[in-house]
Amino acid sequence: MDDRELVRDDEVFVRMNLAERVQHGLLILTFITLMATGLPLFFYEFKFFKWLLPTGRAFAVRGVLHRVAAVILAANLVWHLFYTLFTARGRANFKAMAPGVRDFRDASGQFFYNVGITRLLNRLGIGKKFFARHPYWLFKEAPRYDRYNFVEKFEYWAVGWGSAVMIVSGFFMWKVDLSLRLFPLWVHDIFIIVHSYEAMLAFLAIIIWHMYNVHLNPEVFPMSKIWLNGKITGRELRTLHPLEYERILQERKKASISVTYN
Amino acid sequence: MGFDIPRRTTFALALLLAGCIHPAAAAIKNEDCLACHADARLRSAAGTSVAVDPERFRASVHGQAEVSCVDCHADLKADKDFPHAEKLKSVSCAGCHDQETRVFKASVHGGATVDKDGMTVGCKGCHGTHDIRAKDDFESRTFAINLPRTCLGCHSAKVRNARGGAFVELYEKSAHYRALERAGLTLSATCSNCHGAHDIQSVKDAVSKVSRKNIIKTCGQCHVGIQRDYLEGVHGKDYVKGIKDVPVCTDCHSEHDIRSPMDLDSTVYTTKVAQVCSRCHDDMALSRQYGFAPNRMKTYANSFHGTASKFGEIRVANCASCHGFHDIRDPADPKSSIYPANLPETCGQCHPGASKHFAEGKIHNALGTTGDIRDKAPHIVKTVYLAVIAAIIGVFLLFIAADLFGRAIRRKTHG
Repeated sequence: MDDRELVRDDEVFVRMNLAERVQHGLLILTFITLMATGLPLFFYEFKFFKWLLPTGRAFAVRGVLHRVAAVILAANLVWHLFYTLFTARGRANFKAMAPGVRDFRDASGQFFYNVGITRLLNRLGIGKKFFARHPYWLFKEAPRYDRYNFVEKFEYWAVGWGSAVMIVSGFFMWKVDLSLRLFPLWVHDIFIIVHSYEAMLAFLAIIIWHMYNVHLNPEVFPMSKIWLNGKITGRELRTLHPLEYERILQERKKASISVTYN
Repeated sequence: MGFDIPRRTTFALALLLAGCIHPAAAAIKNEDCLACHADARLRSAAGTSVAVDPERFRASVHGQAEVSCVDCHADLKADKDFPHAEKLKSVSCAGCHDQETRVFKASVHGGATVDKDGMTVGCKGCHGTHDIRAKDDFESRTFAINLPRTCLGCHSAKVRNARGGAFVELYEKSAHYRALERAGLTLSATCSNCHGAHDIQSVKDAVSKVSRKNIIKTCGQCHVGIQRDYLEGVHGKDYVKGIKDVPVCTDCHSEHDIRSPMDLDSTVYTTKVAQVCSRCHDDMALSRQYGFAPNRMKTYANSFHGTASKFGEIRVANCASCHGFHDIRDPADPKSSIYPANLPETCGQCHPGASKHFAEGKIHNALGTTGDIRDKAPHIVKTVYLAVIAAIIGVFLLFIAADLFGRAIRRKTHG
């Protein structure tokens, strides 16, 4: 049977199931709340934040909102942890999410494929012999990705690491009395610094990196809808996640052969 | 005076004596004057009222003491020919009130201060004329509750102050005036309590009750305990040495507009304390001159306390919460609230169960300014974070630029 018939272009695959979409949705809500109620402390001179937090009870309300969102974020993380451990799909996703040397090669491959500097050098006749012997370094093709590419893996682990750092440092900032019973003041100062700069990093990473990859990127502009409907088409799978596509294809080929034999 | 005989009694005795010796001199009675002057419409040729309200005069301090008209309008004493001359000499109070007059002449209101508009202040400017009352009389212009209105009669509009037109009027916003006006608390400071009465001097004059030299004593008339605390603190100790830059009461509390620290508009309201202290304690020149730590405001503002305070949160430490206020002491003084051994107690006011760990590190952490690990460690963490953020965001931007560039090139070559 033809490949295109085994995995049709308009066939729909589930990329994010409902549980994963709800987890992602909760992450969006809590992240926005945490940023809106946390960033003003970092940029207290900004007029916008002065407006967002007028004098009076607003500041205390801010604190409560921040903590409520933080607890939801932590609970969401725990849910995700259990989901990953105790469902087959979760375990499979986790395995696909595992970082490897391959991801570094993919990242540099994607970068040099886009920039094309080695192809330019080759065309100009510089290092021709080298490129003839090692055509890989010409980066003629874009790297072929599996279920999760290096961008997605990076974001996933960044959220994991970031959440852990924020939860631990935030917990001790919340329970400042406990923190200062356990640690000297300068260690508590480190919690505060870590919490604010990790927040800064997360904020920038989301508005620059994540927003580009899922919104502004010409591939998906104005927005990838996977986070809403969880669906990916056979065609998208073939172009964006070719290795996953091929694996599915092989499985179906095997299945169709066994069907034929029986 | 050896005996403290009330003036009223002295005066009555004098009159009695005068009456015995010269019965003829008492010929002109008040009734004679009031025969014409009781007419409320009576006017001089110039058109000004020369009427005297008999009731108000009788109720006045002079009426009660049965002072006769001609005792003050002395040039009419010998006059028998009525109606008398149109123009009379101005009344001199010095005849009886000689000491007050002498003190007054030397004051800022005394003759020397006639301004370019020809304005001067005499006794009647504050006390009135025929209806002068004792200062403890509710009706008196100089009664504590009424005095501000009397002084403001000139000092709100007519008298321009170097500090601006409304400077004196600000008193009406103060806790002192509220106590007077709302609570009827006549013990509260009215104008004369701080400035004096007959002996008012310019604030620039060292002998003035409100000069830097005397203000502590003046406020201390009522705020005795605060004066004691202040003099025990670092500010008070330097004040006694005559150091001019040291803050006195008015530097933190303002002058006329002194409000309760609970008042949102007070200069020492909890969210505003830092601004007051930082006028000196964020000043490089002063910190170098007197050897105290600079950048207190900056380091406070960077802390959670300072940030929350900027957003108007009041349940957060300001300078005074930790350092105290009137009796702020050197941190090396074992009695100081921020002496390391006292920190658990000081911090414990808000952080119950505060341990000795509060002393291990700095609240005003000017990161990395000393070699101490407690200063260095947070600084190193911050620096590493900044470097990591810069690197990661830099790589992101590089990848995005490469992606857009690659797409543009491919679109061109592949159509």
